Amino acid sequence: MAELEVRNLTKRYGRTVAVDDLSFAVDAGCVTGLLGPNGAGKTTTMRALLGLLAPTRGEALVEGRPPRGMREPLRTIGAALEATAFHPGRSGRNHLRTLAAAGRIPASRADEVLATVELGAAARRRVKGYSLGMRQRLALAAALLGDPRILILDEPANGLDPQGMRWLRDLLRTLAAEGRTVFVSSHVLSEMAQIADELILIRRGKLVAQTTLEEFTAEAVPMRVRCAAPDRLRAALVEGGATVAEEDGALLVGGLEGAEIGELALARGVALHELAPQRSSLEARFLEVMGEDEGEGGVGDGA
Amino acid sequence: MNLLRSEWIKLVTIRTTWTMLGLGLLGEALFAGLYVALRPLGELTDFGEEVAPGTGLLLVLTLVLGVLAITTEFRHGTASSTFLASPRRHPVLVAKLGAVLLVGLLAGLLFVVVNAGLGVSILSSRGGELPSFSDLVSIYAGVVVSLPLICAFGLGIGAIVRNQVGAIIAAIAFFFVLSPLPTLLPGSIGDYFPAQAIGSLHGHTEGEASLGQVGGGLVLAAWALGLWAIGTAIVVRRDLSE
Repeated sequence: MAELEVRNLTKRYGRTVAVDDLSFAVDAGCVTGLLGPNGAGKTTTMRALLGLLAPTRGEALVEGRPPRGMREPLRTIGAALEATAFHPGRSGRNHLRTLAAAGRIPASRADEVLATVELGAAARRRVKGYSLGMRQRLALAAALLGDPRILILDEPANGLDPQGMRWLRDLLRTLAAEGRTVFVSSHVLSEMAQIADELILIRRGKLVAQTTLEEFTAEAVPMRVRCAAPDRLRAALVEGGATVAEEDGALLVGGLEGAEIGELALARGVALHELAPQRSSLEARFLEVMGEDEGEGGVGDGA
Repeated sequence: MNLLRSEWIKLVTIRTTWTMLGLGLLGEALFAGLYVALRPLGELTDFGEEVAPGTGLLLVLTLVLGVLAITTEFRHGTASSTFLASPRRHPVLVAKLGAVLLVGLLAGLLFVVVNAGLGVSILSSRGGELPSFSDLVSIYAGVVVSLPLICAFGLGIGAIVRNQVGAIIAAIAFFFVLSPLPTLLPGSIGDYFPAQAIGSLHGHTEGEASLGQVGGGLVLAAWALGLWAIGTAIVVRRDLSE
């Protein structure tokens, strides 16, 4: 049984279809990314999984059951939805205390999670004075409060600086390695590439692809190779099953990993001068999959 | 019980609650103190009617506190966190009702301390005529009961309207502008609206058809509970998409 599952989920608002017959499942033990442009239905899908909105059709299931009936909600599922969802006049610590009380969790746990997200120093200040990054951390603290088996995080990387990103990635990795289910959304591919193992791509409320980051990257990202004898290496690579193109005197190699290319070059006695992934084409591949017409969402850019 | 504690923490950890209660009590203290101190003794013949029920300022602010108890959750998006911690929404609304009743009760008790403390002590030091102890008790009991009920009344309107400014305006307009209007109608129908019910509860006896204190209290409670029930039904069904 999948930890999180949507089956033929459809959500309409009047005439607008936010999510359209969407089905996928999310398993424990890894970080799963829900990726799509703004307006693709990511938030709606997550909110349906949390029982905050009722599907028009289909169902959203948590551990095989509808979310509204959860026995121990905070211990089952922790969610961080938007960075602004706090009362500005209440301190971060008091916000967590209200949730702890409702979820029958000891108040001391509030201080623990505040320490985990490194917000201890600001805990007693009113949220009004928090930066976007601090709000993100507080939202994450709220999600962790019940030590939940499942985490749902909507755009958690928004407003984090590169250092914060690294910290978030390490935290999510650790949580997933503990056997938890970590489900994260983003509209920025480069963020996702740093965080997620599994990818669910949606667009206009529909599933585009469900794949692993590795597969998606391998397909998309060729290795750029410069060497002393391009022709000799090229023949060897093609024999080894690679697709090879040439660009500015370098070989663009698809279908082989860097290590395999290196071994082949060594076997043929060709000295490598450069061996690097052609990163820019990951974005290109993403745009290709998503369709470039979704301009407004700022697909794939860091906006 | 956990949820009631959670809702109570929500109310006491924001300044608005204390600012509004403080302002209301300060206003009531000034009124009671100055009115009793400055009015010529000869004109101050009915403490129970003139001073003990207060000015209505605390009543308005408590009404608004009740509205805010739920509209802030929608305004700032904390309703989502609240309903994640308790996906069953009915108990949350019951807890909110309990919490606003408690805040209203606190307001009522503090009002009595301020109003009776200043009013009675100044009046008796001037040698004025006090109503009987039992009259005072019944008037103050009426006030102490009216504040929790008006707070719950606000909660109900807040749950129905959800928009903060809209709900505050709706609550005040309904209570102070619309609900006195039916008194213009023939018969006693007007007595069954909240403004007059509070009058009855506070021991006012103008008009023949006054419901009496218990009757006024029951009518006000019915309004508060009815609005709360409608608001609860709406909030339980609503999608939280922001």
